[in-house]
Amino acid sequence: MRIDIHVHPAFYADINGDSHREGLRHRVTDIHKNGLAALEHIENKMACARLDRLTLLAQVYPEARGGAIVSNEEVRSLISLRPDLFFGMGSLDPGDPHLAETAEHALGDLGLLGLALYPCAGEFRPDDPRLEPVWSLCEQYDRPVLFHLGMTWEPGQSMAWAHPLSVEPLAMSHPKLRIGITRFGWPWVRETAALLLKYPNLYADTGVLYFDCAREFYQQTFTKDLPITWLDRSLRHQVLFGSDDPRFEQIRMAAAMETLGLRESSVELIMGENALVYLGL
Amino acid sequence: MHYYEEFTLRTSRYEQLILITRQVLEIAARSGIRDGLVTVQSKHTTTGITVNESLECLESDIETFLSALVPEDRPYSHARMLRDYGSTAGNPTGHLKALLVGNHCHLPLQGGVPVRGGAQEIYFCEFDGPAVRTITVTVTD
Repeated sequence: MRIDIHVHPAFYADINGDSHREGLRHRVTDIHKNGLAALEHIENKMACARLDRLTLLAQVYPEARGGAIVSNEEVRSLISLRPDLFFGMGSLDPGDPHLAETAEHALGDLGLLGLALYPCAGEFRPDDPRLEPVWSLCEQYDRPVLFHLGMTWEPGQSMAWAHPLSVEPLAMSHPKLRIGITRFGWPWVRETAALLLKYPNLYADTGVLYFDCAREFYQQTFTKDLPITWLDRSLRHQVLFGSDDPRFEQIRMAAAMETLGLRESSVELIMGENALVYLGL
Repeated sequence: MHYYEEFTLRTSRYEQLILITRQVLEIAARSGIRDGLVTVQSKHTTTGITVNESLECLESDIETFLSALVPEDRPYSHARMLRDYGSTAGNPTGHLKALLVGNHCHLPLQGGVPVRGGAQEIYFCEFDGPAVRTITVTVTD
């Protein structure tokens, strides 16, 4: 099964009946001119990228930054429409006064497969003590967390909160918690590689394409900034294919991953098998 | 006098040739105009409109020919973050293939029917799919 672990459904037509909400999503994400995507179009894109499942991420920010850009319930509703296409992860804001209840609702009632958190939007560190009850629930439900780290394009968010090394204290204190780092922590990809090497409960996705085309950027990042042998020999069980769709080029990124020069078995791990382990499926 | 209509297509592949002759004939008939000119135009910059013979072998040759002229793995400049979009431009080949094919065609209109040669069909050409695409048809007398 081939899985994209990092997809934002903010512009899916089925959750955009409200033009005010759609406008908010454009402003917060700074993604424009992209239109709304019907489920049939999403399915066509998946076929072109040869993907079997997309992991849709809820996107809950502090109220001052827009609040629930995509709510947990909206992710659940999309999964209910097409359970054959979608997995989903919930989200929460560490400032939520009912944090544990929100996490319980997402993981328990809604059955979402993990939690996506946004340190740059919320200006918090992954080891923020407010989140401790959330980690207990993740461990109880055997579900992972995905931290949005690495360069953020979103306006008003400082990259000072984006460094992947910020997850190390949490990785140390919660060795059973599966922790994902988006965008391979780019541009701090060597730091991310070091983290993955040291902590087997850490994962990193490939959802980054800030320069050049997908083939060129993946070649630069995964064969030059990081020698390809590092992925192919040591990190191959901890790398997850992600596209950060709709920011980047899902179809071309999937194709680029296959032409890096990795062993076929490594490609299969990165394109889906690792995601099943990460999600606890 | 002129008559204007649009229709949309949801393409399903990265590159795709789709016959749109039927839609153009229907719009020409609805226009009520008997003699004049029909213009079929794509509203997009990574698509094309062309007239050719509808044969599977030719469709394959057209796609192969365009891909040879505009290969995917060249170092195109149109491969960077676009601030207006907040996303990466990854479709230079689509733009260049659109440049080669052109974005419209004209057909004479006689007796309410667009005039075509016996082998001529109208194609919409997708070069950056899948996507939802809009085609305009303008009939003028």
